[in-house]
Amino acid sequence: MEVTMALFITKRLLMALATVLVVAVLAFLLVHAMPGSPGAVSLGAGASQDAIDEVNTRLGWNDPLPAQFFRWLGDAVQGNLGASLIDGRSVSADLGNRLPVTASLAAGATVLSAVLGIGLGVTAAVRGGLVDRIVGAICGLAVALPAFWIGIIFVYLFAVQSSVFPATGYVPFEVSPQDWGLSLALPVITLAVGGAAFIARQTRASMLEALQQEHVRTLRATATPTWKILYVHALRYASLPIVAGIALQFIGLFGGSVIAEQLFAMPGLGQAVQTSVSTHDAPAVQGVVVIATVVVVAVNLVLELATKFLDPKLRAS
Amino acid sequence: MIPNVAPAPADSAQATAAAAVQPNSVQPKPGQRTAFSKVSASRLVGSPGGVAGIVWLGALVIASLTAPWWLPYKTEDQDFTAVLSGPTAAHWLGTDELGRDLLSRIFAAAAGTLGTSLITVIVGVGLGTALAMVAAGGDRTEGVISRVTEVMMSLPGTVIILAVIGAVGTNIPLVMAILGVLISAGIYRVMLGQAKSLQSQLYVDAAKVDGVSTLGISLRHVLPGLTNTIVVQSALIFAVGMLIQAGLAFIGFGPPIPQPSWGGMIQGASQHVYDAPWLMVPTGAVLALTVLAANAIGNALGKAPNTAASHLPSAGARRQRGGSVASAGAAADAAVGAAASAADPRAMPAKGQLSVRNLSVGVDGGTPLVTGVSFDVEQGTVLGLVGESGCGKTMTALSLLGLLPAGVSAAGGQILWNGKNLAAATEREMEGIRGRDIALISQEPMRALDPMFTVGYQLAGAIRRLRKVGKAEARAEALSLLEKVGIVDAKRILKTYPHQISGGMAQRVAIALALSGRPRLLVADEPTTALDVTVQAEILSLLRTLVKDTGMSVVMVTHDLGVVADICDNVAVMYAGQVVESGRTATILDNPRHPYTLALLAADPHANTAADMPERLATISGQVPQPKDWPTGCRFMARCQFAGAACAAPVPLLSSGSESGMVRCVKADELAVEGLEWLATEVPTHRVLKIVEKDLA
Repeated sequence: MEVTMALFITKRLLMALATVLVVAVLAFLLVHAMPGSPGAVSLGAGASQDAIDEVNTRLGWNDPLPAQFFRWLGDAVQGNLGASLIDGRSVSADLGNRLPVTASLAAGATVLSAVLGIGLGVTAAVRGGLVDRIVGAICGLAVALPAFWIGIIFVYLFAVQSSVFPATGYVPFEVSPQDWGLSLALPVITLAVGGAAFIARQTRASMLEALQQEHVRTLRATATPTWKILYVHALRYASLPIVAGIALQFIGLFGGSVIAEQLFAMPGLGQAVQTSVSTHDAPAVQGVVVIATVVVVAVNLVLELATKFLDPKLRAS
Repeated sequence: MIPNVAPAPADSAQATAAAAVQPNSVQPKPGQRTAFSKVSASRLVGSPGGVAGIVWLGALVIASLTAPWWLPYKTEDQDFTAVLSGPTAAHWLGTDELGRDLLSRIFAAAAGTLGTSLITVIVGVGLGTALAMVAAGGDRTEGVISRVTEVMMSLPGTVIILAVIGAVGTNIPLVMAILGVLISAGIYRVMLGQAKSLQSQLYVDAAKVDGVSTLGISLRHVLPGLTNTIVVQSALIFAVGMLIQAGLAFIGFGPPIPQPSWGGMIQGASQHVYDAPWLMVPTGAVLALTVLAANAIGNALGKAPNTAASHLPSAGARRQRGGSVASAGAAADAAVGAAASAADPRAMPAKGQLSVRNLSVGVDGGTPLVTGVSFDVEQGTVLGLVGESGCGKTMTALSLLGLLPAGVSAAGGQILWNGKNLAAATEREMEGIRGRDIALISQEPMRALDPMFTVGYQLAGAIRRLRKVGKAEARAEALSLLEKVGIVDAKRILKTYPHQISGGMAQRVAIALALSGRPRLLVADEPTTALDVTVQAEILSLLRTLVKDTGMSVVMVTHDLGVVADICDNVAVMYAGQVVESGRTATILDNPRHPYTLALLAADPHANTAADMPERLATISGQVPQPKDWPTGCRFMARCQFAGAACAAPVPLLSSGSESGMVRCVKADELAVEGLEWLATEVPTHRVLKIVEKDLA
């Protein structure tokens, strides 16, 4: 059993590595397809062709593509993602500063979505009837409303009408844990609305399926209290698809951070993608795509192992 | 921003992307083609949400296509007298910061939004479906494609889309097409199961033998079966496409300014949330309504009729339980009670005595499933409930524990357990009875045990609950119970999960579980049907030993007369929701009085010894009638070889003359006198090769 588990983990790790590599190649090619050479981008309009050529040669832009890629890869594994074409700062350092922002945002939104979604989904499945229909309607509305729209409404309600939360900005945890929490509140809630609705639907469907299983009858026949059937046995049975749903949701929420960071002016990865794409800052785009992929793939790997651990059949085989 | 790169789950559990990891996720059975075939227009029209969705989308499409002719303003017309205005007569939905008419801009932007979202749908659903059909054709291709789509699904789609925008610019049709490629992985996951199921149909095998090409099979046999799912996913992806497109426009990657787009307009509105919050409303509402409409269409079509009933009634139903029977039963109580006491001189039944009197079970407020069933089970005896499938045996048995499926309940009569009427008991009272007084073992032991917990956890948990003992004691008792049901390496079995043990072993565990509360009555619902023949014999002999050792009684549901002969003291033969004959086992097997019993015996290959085995086994033509088709007279009449005019009137259950025997047949005495036998029907010679149907299989 230990051997197969180790084999499984090894396989998954290799696959994750391959995924990151594929994305790295893809990002490299995309960046090369961007309009404007690095020299043109970094020197801006009005630069002479000679100056542009000089920068391009210095950056190795005219070298064969494979050589460029492997040079980038060699630097990347040492933690050097190059320098921004716009301000010349280290991309790694910049992304390093931004990662905690997006991580807090995505993690917070995932946790809140999971808690709200599982709670709502279980309630809908267990109570049925009117409660189920109300939860269903709320979820239907929540997945239909775009996150950016919800976010603006929240800003209007909680920051403009009553200044409970700051409308924009981000306070690092080291500076003030309390302000950190407050600054995250609105973006996290904004992202969690859709996420919670998705997880609630998944949870409701899985719970209903769990309650249709014949072993529920056996549990009742042995006088198992209803709360235990619902919250220990059925929820445990439903936990696999729920966790899989949360894993999918994390990917979506990580992407959602682009919107939330733009809306709430937070210096995260999403904002970096948006600016670097707008300014054609090639090394920054390449770096942020790879970093985002590494984070998402890593979290996915952990959740997949969690699913594996949750299922006795998979665990044993 | 990509809310769900995997398609959002429709209301049906089957359509969830994550359902792929469900341990016992219900796979569509081969042959169940109707479950996912053609697009059901009636399903769509029958759902108010679906109709509203179609109306809204249709209206929007028409309005946006005809926009140039009816829009009050051009999208760029600026009315500086009404900047940031609310709804007015001139500007129905108000104006933006440049005094441009919102209504005009919203509808002018609609065509582009809808059209480009359609690109995502066509690419995403088309590619996903094609991949699923290719993968369903071969295991190796499936492995490769599944691996690739797994990778695609674990990518940060939004970031990649943005990088693509960096490379190709805000070429929205192209970006939406690439989004479709990313989304196709999720579609593939949803489609694969169905495509594989369709591919494994017998008619597909037949087509292969006929030399139809792989492509031909995919197009002719697999694709039509996927139609409904394709439409459902298209609707859902259409909504996702619109949301993502709006999101992109919101962060500045929309159509070039000043061309209007919904996302761009919301972005503009967000700048004025302080001074003109109204600006948020019209565009947001139109976008949300359009997404809602697409989702509603998808959900209306995707909602598969849910056939499986929950085994846990809703909270409301649990509270109500007993109420209806209490009132219905009260009237009958007096009459039946008097009759019962008249028939039975002992006023107080002995400990562990079950008397079912005139029990009716039915779908709530509808069809009856069991009517007027009465029987007694004395302490330490075994009663067999026999009959074909669909005769109400299981419903009768489950009603004894108050474990009828959701939506079915005891509608009248009494289940007297030591004098207490369980048919009218509350859920709380039944919780005190279940396990401790009356226990259950069911047909499929594997499905009766919770796959997520070890045998030890389930068994020890039940013992702690039912015997009020501590953890350690329960553990020891679990071990001894397993040994008692004949499990040799009980210590090891305690640590295993249900999927790790064989069916026979699982049934022993299920029996141990049933014994954990030292019940006085065991309800066994076809406990051997799902097992191998040799294991069947072992389980029966175990049950016989347990009856002898513990003195408990058993109600054994079976369709196997061999089991009846083997273990039952008394038998009640059920047909179409009624008891048609009951009495001592020996009497009934040797001297059956009801034609149905006669027929069952004649049709049972095991009831005939090798010497008197007839050349052709008897059959019972036709089928058990559905409850809605039950006649007022004898329910067996349509299939009975001896039926006559008198059988059309209601038939009472009368004493058959031998001991406690009862029979429900107007011709019982006549048949007994004439000594008639149930004959094998003549088979026309041209059909001789046809395999004779075995009614008791």
